[in-house]
Order: sequence, then C-alpha cells, then structure tokens
Amino acid sequence: MRLWLALLTLLALAPHAAAQDEAETPAADGGPAIVAALTQERVDIRSDFAGTQLILFGAAQGMRESDDIVIVVRGPQEDLRVMRQSRILGVWVNMAPVHFEGVPSYYTVASTRPLSDVGAFSALRREGIGLDHLRLDAPDTEHREVRFGVEVTVSDIGAEIAEYRAAIARNRRREELFAETYEGVDLLEGGLFRAKVTLPPRTPVGDYTVDVYLFRNGRAVAERSVTLEVRKAGLERIIYDFAHQFAWLYGLVCAALAVLFGWAAAAIFNRR
Amino acid sequence: MQIYLPIAEISVNLLLLLSLGVGVGFLSGMFGVGGGFLLTPLLIFIGIPPAVAVSTQANQIAASSASGAIAHWRRGTLDMKMGALLLVGGMAGAFAGVQIFGYLQALGQIDLIISLCYVGFLGTIGTLMLIESINALVRRYRGTKSSSNSAARRKRRWIDRLPFKTRFPKSGLYLSVIPPVVIGTFVGTLTAIMGVGGGFIMVPAMIYVLRMPTNVVIGTSLFQILFVTLLTTVLQAGQNQTVDIVLALALIVGGVVGAQLGARAGRKIRAEELRVALAVLVIAVCLKVGWDLVATPEDLFNIISLGRPQI
Repeated sequence: MRLWLALLTLLALAPHAAAQDEAETPAADGGPAIVAALTQERVDIRSDFAGTQLILFGAAQGMRESDDIVIVVRGPQEDLRVMRQSRILGVWVNMAPVHFEGVPSYYTVASTRPLSDVGAFSALRREGIGLDHLRLDAPDTEHREVRFGVEVTVSDIGAEIAEYRAAIARNRRREELFAETYEGVDLLEGGLFRAKVTLPPRTPVGDYTVDVYLFRNGRAVAERSVTLEVRKAGLERIIYDFAHQFAWLYGLVCAALAVLFGWAAAAIFNRR
Repeated sequence: MQIYLPIAEISVNLLLLLSLGVGVGFLSGMFGVGGGFLLTPLLIFIGIPPAVAVSTQANQIAASSASGAIAHWRRGTLDMKMGALLLVGGMAGAFAGVQIFGYLQALGQIDLIISLCYVGFLGTIGTLMLIESINALVRRYRGTKSSSNSAARRKRRWIDRLPFKTRFPKSGLYLSVIPPVVIGTFVGTLTAIMGVGGGFIMVPAMIYVLRMPTNVVIGTSLFQILFVTLLTTVLQAGQNQTVDIVLALALIVGGVVGAQLGARAGRKIRAEELRVALAVLVIAVCLKVGWDLVATPEDLFNIISLGRPQI
C-alpha cells in the first residue's frame, strides 16, 4: 500500500523532474526523464542487522520499447591496499602493494538487459557503469602523458594493474559488496520500473548514491540520482562512537568489565 | 540468531560465538590453559578481522584469568613478588607489542607474522609437551618413579650467576630479578601480537628456567596474564580502536560456562593423558595454521582496507 502511494507521488512529481533534467538531456520528443525513490532512504544497522533489501521504484517519462534502465548503487569511498602474494621459502607472503584511492566500498549494477547490449563502451566507461568500467585509480602508480595529442593516464606497472583491478572486483563480489545483475530491473507498465537493492551483512556505513540511467541507442539520455544513508543505530552506534571518541575510557571500561565477570565467575565457582 | 559487532563491523551468529566460547572455555578449564591460542585462529576463521580478533581476545583472557587468579590468591598459591617482576616485564612487552602490531598492520604483514608466531611457538611447545607426556605415560606403565631432579636443582647454572639477586620467600628461591623480567617482557609482547595469554610459554619457563615450585606456578602466571591482558585491552582500545566489547562479552559468557564444565570433566581424566591430549591439540592447531601459510591461496591477491569514511 505504501509502495503504491509512493509510486503515485512519483508520477505526480514526474513533470517537475522532467523540467529539471531538461538542461542536461538532449531534447528528443519533449525529453525523456526519470523519477525514482527508494522504499527507505535510511538504513539503520542495529544489533540484529543481517543484511537487508530495499526496493527502488521509478518511472521513466517518454520511454520507448527499445530503451533500457540501468541502476548503479555506490557506497562510501575507501582507500585500499592490494597486495599480490608470492611464495618465499614455501610461505605465501604479501608483496608488491598497490594503493588504490576512492574505491566505492559498495557497488552494484542492475539493468534491464546485459550491459554490453545496453550501452556503448564509451558511454559505460564515462559513467563508470559495470564492474568492467568502474574507475579504480591507483594514483601512485600512474602518470599523465600526452599521446597522439590526447592526455591519457598511463600505468607505471603496465598491464599488471588490470590484474589488481580484477582482484578488487573478485574479492568484493565474494563478499557480496560488488554485484552486477542483468535483468535486475523489472519493467512494469507505462514506463514504471522496479529493482531490488540488496545490502549484505557486511554493508559499510556511510552515504550511498543511487544513479538511475535511461539508455537509448547505447547512450544515457536521462539520469536521476537518489541518496541512501546507511548508519549504525541504537546501542551499536553508541558503542562505536564511545570506542572512537573516548577510546581510552572505552578500553578502561572493557578492562573493568573483564575483571567484574572474572570475579563473578570465581565467586560462583567458589560457592560450590 | 545474527548479532552485529559494532567494532568488527560484521554480523555473525550469536550462537556460534557462544558455542565457540563454551568449547574453548571447556578445553581451557580441562587443561588449565587460557585457550587464546585456539580462539584467535577460530575467530579469524569465522571472518573477524585479525586486528579485532587479537585485541578482543586479550579482553576475554583478562576475564578468564581474573577468576583463576582470584581463586589462587585465596588459596595462597600465588607468589606476589615473582608475579610483580613478571608483570613489570610484561607491561613493557605489551607496550612494545602494541607498537609492533600497529607497525606490521600498516605494512600489511600482520597476518603473516601472527601465523608464523603460531607455527613456531605452538610447534615447539606442542612437540616438547608431547614427548614429555608420552615419556611420563611410559614411565607410569613400566612402574618406575619419575626421576627426582633435586640434584639438578642444586647445581649452579648461568642464571644463578646473574646480578641483582633477591629472595622469593613464597617460592623459596634466591634468584636474580633479570630472568623474571625478561620472561615477562617476552610473554607480554606475544600477548599483544598473538592475542594469547602466554601461559603455555610462561609456565614451562617458570618451572624449567626459574625452577619455581609447581604449586605456585599456575597462580603466579595467571596473575601476570591478568594484568598484562588488562593493559593490552586498554592499549589496543586506546591506540588502535580494535576491542569489540560485544564480541568480548559473548566470548566471556560462553567461556565462563565452558570453563566450569571443562574443569569437572578434567578431574575425571589422569594428568598424563590430559597432557598428551593437550599436546595433540596444540600440534593440530599449529599444523592447521602452518598449512594455511604454505597452501596455495584461493586468491593470490589480498585486499586491505585503509579506513573508510565514518559517520
């Protein structure tokens, strides 16, 4: 019921949204536009948090039969150190670190069809849509260079950087933090669409952005962003804040609790 | 039943945590060891970040050694003077260990060093314990009495020639203060790096190096472990923010229950058999950790998060 109310609101808002987007989208028959909303704009992580699912609802105005919807969810950025393991004296050791900056801690793509059918390589690359096109920058190992009159980014470690990038995607996929689901977007009637956003148990806290694109002939012709906030709540938040803001006091409390429990155990044990 | 750990930042099964606590508590109650050497690898195995596992483990050991130390203190089987010297070293070691831990963590080599420490120490101690306990078993079956080492006790060793000698009335020793401080420092460092109490190293060292009477060894080592793990808890929490109080409480509660059950079970089994079983357990953990070091990993790349923006 609430969902349908949300949808109705969306439809009512649609003309307004179209007006806003007109500037950036090429005006083809009145200009395609998207409105979208999540069932929840804030996810609270409490003690029983074991992952959750949100639904993104949206409507595309002026959507044609052959058009596609692509939804990209990006979590807060983090810096990563990726190390390749090598065998030294029979033991696997972390070597050759590469420092990546600004990697989304959560990244999922859902689309109405496989991405390669939806968008042209250049369009996907420019917007960073899809695990193959996600920008993974390692500024320490790259430099800018002018080749054939165009400034490009060149990696100092050559093709090896691709292996590191692939490793990040592989690792995050395993932890269900990265995902790419073709046909993850359900098209309903009259330009309405729906997609699931799955947050795994390890969901990082922070601000998320959900970008919804309308693709036509391989290019994004309309775009809409909504935000999502994931945060610790309740006791979890209190503990976390306490542990970080008053770290030493928190340590003392942990130590005191340990002694208290130990003493209680000794007292009970002694009585028997 | 899932529970979200606020510092480890993952959601794990509470029943799994409690049963881990009970299981390890059972073994520690039965064998009289802290069980840190079992619990830390297990926690890492179920997905707790190593840094959080090691630091939280220190907190859990503090609770379990507190109950033991109090019991020994009441019975008077605790050499306070020796314990204090071990503690002086232990605190210095804990300080150093937390620094080393932070440094290695920044280098991305902490997992390797933890694993190598485990293989080295558990392998050595486990093997020695196995040989010693099997010898004891063989002696018992042959009906011969264990050879008295009173002759060896009187022989002057290099340790007896060290300066700063003092009397330890409770242990009946006249000994330099240097060996206890050195042993304490060593064990304190291991506490911070490996997330173990270090009893499995300190107890043999007290018996064979310091030649303390066995009745005060356990109480005194528990006394040292209690204060070193308390200090480690505060240092790790203050400096690295890696102590998870929710995880610690789950392990402590499970551990307390398990230790009681284990202590009862332990009374029904003879000491030599217990030691053989403990030795086998220690070697098994060593082999498992060792295998993970040499086995080709599923993914040759390791990804370490260098902090994410927090709210």
